[in-house]
Amino acid sequence: MQRASLAFHAVLGAAAATIGVLIYYILYVTPEAQLATGGLAQKIFYFHVPAAYAMYLSGVVCMLASAAYLVGATDRRNAWARAGAECAVVFGLLVLVSGPLWARKAWGVYWTWDPRLTTSLLSVLVYVAVVVLRAFAGDGDAERKFAAALGVLGTVNLPIIHYSVQKWGGNHPVVITKGGGGLADPRMGTALGIGFLAFTLLAIVLLALRARLALLSARVDRAEERAAAAGITEGL
Amino acid sequence: MTTHLAFTTSPAGRTADFRPVEGGTDTVSAEGLLLTAYLIMWALVFGFVLLGWRRQSRLAARLADLEQALARAERAAPPEAP
Repeated sequence: MQRASLAFHAVLGAAAATIGVLIYYILYVTPEAQLATGGLAQKIFYFHVPAAYAMYLSGVVCMLASAAYLVGATDRRNAWARAGAECAVVFGLLVLVSGPLWARKAWGVYWTWDPRLTTSLLSVLVYVAVVVLRAFAGDGDAERKFAAALGVLGTVNLPIIHYSVQKWGGNHPVVITKGGGGLADPRMGTALGIGFLAFTLLAIVLLALRARLALLSARVDRAEERAAAAGITEGL
Repeated sequence: MTTHLAFTTSPAGRTADFRPVEGGTDTVSAEGLLLTAYLIMWALVFGFVLLGWRRQSRLAARLADLEQALARAERAAPPEAP
């Protein structure tokens, strides 16, 4: 087995094990909190926050690879930029699904146009735009560069999400960021730490899978160009 | 020994009708929301992986076909004159 493949399988195994530990910890170890607003629904926190962090991580990968592609275009850089945008959409959807389900119990409504919710939605929509552009606008150099520029610009919104809750207030809590009261029970901190680790590993696995897929797609495009240049049409 | 509970001692003090809380919208269970969040979340992740895996299989098959066709065309081409 190649070294890269071995490393990938090791990270995959570690991700699966950590996710198992996280689920056990959330269900059986962490105490209920916020009893006045639902109790158990607060446990959504332990994967809602790590999913938001994984979205930031994927967005940063998208931005770095996109910037690198704009400096010097290669299939590998394009693949990582594409993978970063796709994973940012998936993790963003996890945040946008889990958050409103918790909010339904805590606030009584699924959605409110709070600064953090609105900026998070905006960020996910930017990454959706990058993914849709790459999927439907072709895979030429101009399209790739346009998508890379959008990928860089989209990431500018990520710090705004982070600081929006501190600058503009709103309903969204500030428990673990600056100004927050923190987690009262050490088991809560442990569960959140495991959540961060699990979602970091999951993000690495998904990013690697999608980048490999994008590279394979680029190889197929090159082979199709060579086949067309050689006048091969039979059986294809 | 007799035990008197506050809510059983006075029939007049019992609740005679149910009135909704002003602005109260709490009609869903926390357990249901937690379970729904989990199910949707893992369905999204597994769906993403499954779609990627299917696309990878399709692309790998396509690449193998193209490389075979290119190799056949290379073998069939007449050798270049020195």
